[in-house]
Amino acid sequence: MRLYLELAKKSFQNNIVYRADYFASLINAIVLIFVNIAIWKAINEEEGALGGLQLNILITYIVISFLMQTVYQMDEYFIEGKVRTGLISTDLLKPFYFRLFVFSYNVGSMVFKFIMQFIPAMLLSVFLFRLLPPFNTQMLLYFILSAILGYLVLYNINFIVWISSFWFYWTFSLVTIKDAAVMILSGALIPIWFMPTWLIDFIELTPFNAIFYTPILIYLGMMPEDEIFMSIVKQILWIIALFGIGHILWKRATKKLVVQGG
Amino acid sequence: MALIEVDDLVKEYQLNVRHKGLLGSIRSLLIPEYTKKVAVDSISFSIEKGETVGFIGPNGAGKSTTVKMLTGILTPTSGTITVGGLSPYKDRKKNASRIGVVFGQRTQLWWDLPVADTFDLLKYIYKIPDNVFRENMELFSDILGLQEFMKQPVRQLSLGQKMRADIGAALLHNPEIIFFDEPTIGLDVVAKEQIREFVRTVNRERGTTMLFTTHDMLDIEKTCKRMIIIDHGKKIYDGTVEEIKDKYGRSRVLRVEFSEYIADVQLPGAEMIKEEGNKKWFEFQKDQTQVSRLINTLSQKYGIVDITVQEPEIEGVIREIYQGGIDLNETLSGVS
Repeated sequence: MRLYLELAKKSFQNNIVYRADYFASLINAIVLIFVNIAIWKAINEEEGALGGLQLNILITYIVISFLMQTVYQMDEYFIEGKVRTGLISTDLLKPFYFRLFVFSYNVGSMVFKFIMQFIPAMLLSVFLFRLLPPFNTQMLLYFILSAILGYLVLYNINFIVWISSFWFYWTFSLVTIKDAAVMILSGALIPIWFMPTWLIDFIELTPFNAIFYTPILIYLGMMPEDEIFMSIVKQILWIIALFGIGHILWKRATKKLVVQGG
Repeated sequence: MALIEVDDLVKEYQLNVRHKGLLGSIRSLLIPEYTKKVAVDSISFSIEKGETVGFIGPNGAGKSTTVKMLTGILTPTSGTITVGGLSPYKDRKKNASRIGVVFGQRTQLWWDLPVADTFDLLKYIYKIPDNVFRENMELFSDILGLQEFMKQPVRQLSLGQKMRADIGAALLHNPEIIFFDEPTIGLDVVAKEQIREFVRTVNRERGTTMLFTTHDMLDIEKTCKRMIIIDHGKKIYDGTVEEIKDKYGRSRVLRVEFSEYIADVQLPGAEMIKEEGNKKWFEFQKDQTQVSRLINTLSQKYGIVDITVQEPEIEGVIREIYQGGIDLNETLSGVS
């Protein structure tokens, strides 16, 4: 366990190295939030089409969503790079679990983003966009739990895409498709409640709404208390299922491994 | 039982056949075709503890594939490998804690962080006890000169520094076996020598078993006692470096610098092959002509400033073997 903690720490350090990149992504997060809020405000003024929803709830939704996306941003080409350069062989030659290594690496940079980007951007948002506080303390705790589970759902989806690089070597297109699916189906861009019923029914069958939508609804207090338990169970089930798929793929990948440049 | 036992090892690859041209590449995309390539063709050998063995062979001969199977990252198609009683690909992690690997062409160091950070991390990965870690760090700092750049990010290091750090990193956990995959590629003469010296020291003092794949024959000559030559996936020679040199390196070159220019030097038993000012080079066969006789003849007739005898380099011998100029199947004991 100590090892993976150290790995996460090193990954955290690794993130500090590039100062320009740090400020750029902080600014990027703020600008994205600002632009999205401006769009929703315009829609609200032109159409009054927010279904009677208070604008500040919607703004809070957008802010939380984008802040979460910033934190959940992962290094999509970490495994692919290792497969293509053959560096994967050096990692497989170490007496550790490669998958835990990758996970620690991502958790390290997630913690970095949480402390160095989420918190400052959150504080700025409170002033700039009048972000609403969580519905109540209980919901805040549920939100934290659900957000962590959401991260794990996304992580396991990502892992499946990353691991496909063992077969495809280039995963840019797959990653792009996955990103688009996550963006739309998870409610990261547009709250799912605005979507047509048939699409909502479809989304219910996918793991995507377990990433952002569930925790944000809990934060806003928009999910009835008796549904919260079920949503969290659903998140856990998705994590198990996706992990299972990733596990099978991983076993196959290591079996068929052809180290590039050998 | 030997430390490493390889028996009848075979590795086949499936290669994607790509057709030429635009139409061809579309065809390859839609209807993939495969051919089989035998990279390693029933190779057997065994290596004892403390041996230094060089794997050589032309590019694509199957050296790296063999080494990768020994480390456990490739699964053999058939045949068996045991490393210290374990099957490397079945017990990859267990095997991994006992071996060290150095790749000359890639680094295992954490790119953006100082070297010291990677070493720290390796301490946890291999669960290295504090005292061993400290001892090794001191030794490596001494011989490899790591302390000069321990605090610099890896991306700022020169190739030689990176290589030294990489070798240190691979040896930090006192592995029983170390694999070097072209450890001196792209390095300057001084850096190469420093690394060879370090390798020799470690082998002598710790009895670490070492396997090299390299194209630098000097690496092999200076660090290895035994040599396994692989070509087209087959083992064609397995024996001492000395033996192959003795057998095929029979010719010697005598370099003589005369005190004045002499147009025509008569030297029975030797042939002049080169001439440059007052210097002349003579080639002779050491089993036919005695060098003392040649020197005698020369010194009686002419004034001599300097005289040296040059041995053939193993590189020349190996080049001939690759090109088929030497048929190994004659008498050598190591030929399989």
